Amino acid sequence: MLNWLLRGIRGGRITTRYPHRAELPPDGFHARVEVLRDTDGDGDMQRLCPTGAITVDDGHIRLDHGRCILCGECVRLAGEHFGWYDGAYEIASRSRDGLLSDAAIEDHVASRPSLGELGSALRRSIHVRHIDCGSDGSEEWEIQALWNPYYDIQRLGFFLTSAPRHADILLVTGGVTEPMRGPLKRTWQVIPAPKVLVAVGTDACSGGLAADSGLIAGGVDQVLPVDVYVPGSPPAPIAIMHGLLQAVGIYNPEQVA
Amino acid sequence: MTAIGHEIREFPGEMPPGLLGTLEPGPAEEVRLRIESRELRTATRLLREMGARFITVTVAQQPEASLLVLLAYRATVIGLRCPTEGNADLQPLLDDWPTARWAFQELAERHGVTIAGRRLTAPDADLLDQRVDGLDAFAIPYGPVRSGIFEAIQFQIETGGESVVSLQTRPFFKHRGMEARFRGLVPSRAVHVAERVAGIATVAYACAFSQAVERAMEIEVHPVAERWRAIHCELERLACHLDVIAKEAETTALYVGHARFQILKERVMRLRARLSGSRFGRGVVVPGGVHAVPHVDRQALRAELDDLERQFRRDRKLFTATASMTDRLIGSGTLPRELIDEFAAVGPLARGSGVATDARHERPYGDYRRLGLQVVTHREGDAMARVSVRFDEIAESLRILHQALAHLRPALDEHPASPGRLSGCACGWVEAPQGELVAWVEIEDGRVANVHLASPSLRNWALFDHAFSNDVLTDFAFIEHSFGLTPAGADR
Repeated sequence: MLNWLLRGIRGGRITTRYPHRAELPPDGFHARVEVLRDTDGDGDMQRLCPTGAITVDDGHIRLDHGRCILCGECVRLAGEHFGWYDGAYEIASRSRDGLLSDAAIEDHVASRPSLGELGSALRRSIHVRHIDCGSDGSEEWEIQALWNPYYDIQRLGFFLTSAPRHADILLVTGGVTEPMRGPLKRTWQVIPAPKVLVAVGTDACSGGLAADSGLIAGGVDQVLPVDVYVPGSPPAPIAIMHGLLQAVGIYNPEQVA
Repeated sequence: MTAIGHEIREFPGEMPPGLLGTLEPGPAEEVRLRIESRELRTATRLLREMGARFITVTVAQQPEASLLVLLAYRATVIGLRCPTEGNADLQPLLDDWPTARWAFQELAERHGVTIAGRRLTAPDADLLDQRVDGLDAFAIPYGPVRSGIFEAIQFQIETGGESVVSLQTRPFFKHRGMEARFRGLVPSRAVHVAERVAGIATVAYACAFSQAVERAMEIEVHPVAERWRAIHCELERLACHLDVIAKEAETTALYVGHARFQILKERVMRLRARLSGSRFGRGVVVPGGVHAVPHVDRQALRAELDDLERQFRRDRKLFTATASMTDRLIGSGTLPRELIDEFAAVGPLARGSGVATDARHERPYGDYRRLGLQVVTHREGDAMARVSVRFDEIAESLRILHQALAHLRPALDEHPASPGRLSGCACGWVEAPQGELVAWVEIEDGRVANVHLASPSLRNWALFDHAFSNDVLTDFAFIEHSFGLTPAGADR
């Protein structure tokens, strides 16, 4: 056991200082698709997107990050209008409208209060529960990564719990398949208030590629009210962390300390 | 072009006299046999006795509507095709191949045949269909809401508290109809669907699908593209295997060990992000080749791999020397070799029981035709053997990566060689980190018409019900992690 301990110490500190210090993606990272030019769009651009994330209205291009699965078809075929953005991981929003590329400030206003606003005593001891409702499995890996030494979200006061009755935050992945609808509702029901629900991944935000399969609800918000949306296919760990901080209402870094 | 052209392929070895059927043209390493449905039982039984391994059963639409049974035999995939007039009787096949249970039932449900009882692909979390034997036994439904961050699947465990009397795995809570999503898309767009079937094996699914398309449409892939595919496949294997080992360490509450293997996994994920822009290698593989690969500093890449290997060796040494860790794995979830054969299991699971099956070796594809590969096996068949297989495979993957990087030319971002044909059907296969993955793809006028994915997770899970012969309930998590499967891949 001592050997393990020494081995652990020898590595030095590798943990990110996020959110006190910004954490930037590597060059060329597909953090999200950016609309480089939102004018002169034509109807064909809508057909580029397999999930209907692009809409063109009278030449005006709008991208719905909540539907974007980061396949890059638009970047490859309409590079003048769309490009990869690798400037930041953060993409979570407290409202569905906030995920639109042309969202105005008022679109980001949350419809419901955050956990921090509901009970500020909770700020440094948040218990998180996860439920999978039909993800592709990659979102689970990225959520698990939050507790690895690189991200160590425990330092910010987030703990993982397996009991929904102890939970404050429910992380939901996947677009909610029919057999998972009941278990999801009951899990949410037994979590004591105040509580918030975070939809992790594009599948959870809108159903992604399977949205029209008739086998899924097409997003968690079709079943339960969602407090924070974290789009991405899958979202990177920092993006999920940003979503969790928003859920608690402490994204402002000074508040964490 | 001759190598990938569709022509009649000879039956490997001697064709058994009782096997009545007509050979049909197909791509290399694919023996297609058309048989009458009344002959199906005899044919499968004969092939099974000869050592063929069941892969999947599905309904094919090309060249005509037929029931298609895929089997692995020697260095080929045998496709038994029997035209269906109405409903073929599936029951005899089910008797012969216990592992085919889910594949058959799934097929039956999708094509309107109801097998008595509820629909498999719409499981009910509350329905206990476990019969409880004895006075002191009870049934625990574990899942689909798991403890921890795991994918949805349910296990019904019948136990007296300690020993596991019986166990029943119930997948399909995550069935999203991904196979149907492929239909009507051009292959270069359909690959995005393949990448999102099982996220942790993104590259493997994209490769299996792309290779099937390339074989169906007679597209030749540039060797540089094949090399990049192999590099991404091996990085994915590293991440998946490290994940399994980290989870085993976590289950024993070996927290530093858990952290160490998580660090290694995270480093691999970051390496993949640098190489492809995606932590899961998404957007790299496309039918016909690979998309542009960012310019990489080969020296830096090799230095990173070298350091990874150094750290891995040290952590592995500590892991295997920690008795509290290995004691939980040795002798847990023992799967005898006969069971592996009977259930046609694949991947690290089969290799942990001494069965040297590996698609990269059995039917080398892409760059694996050039890269040397040593198939790792351990004979004990317990959870420790499955973990040891992964340890050895990590070392082997690192070796392959070094070999691949030693002769690396910049990738070409051009979709070479126009397709030889616009309609056709073929199998594509890869050794995913979970085991052999086979994709059946039909193309019509340049668009995907039908896809069936024979996922290693679904096949191997049939064996999970039998892994608890001598084990107690507390061994559950160890055995589950040692299987290293993904419900998303199984449910599709």
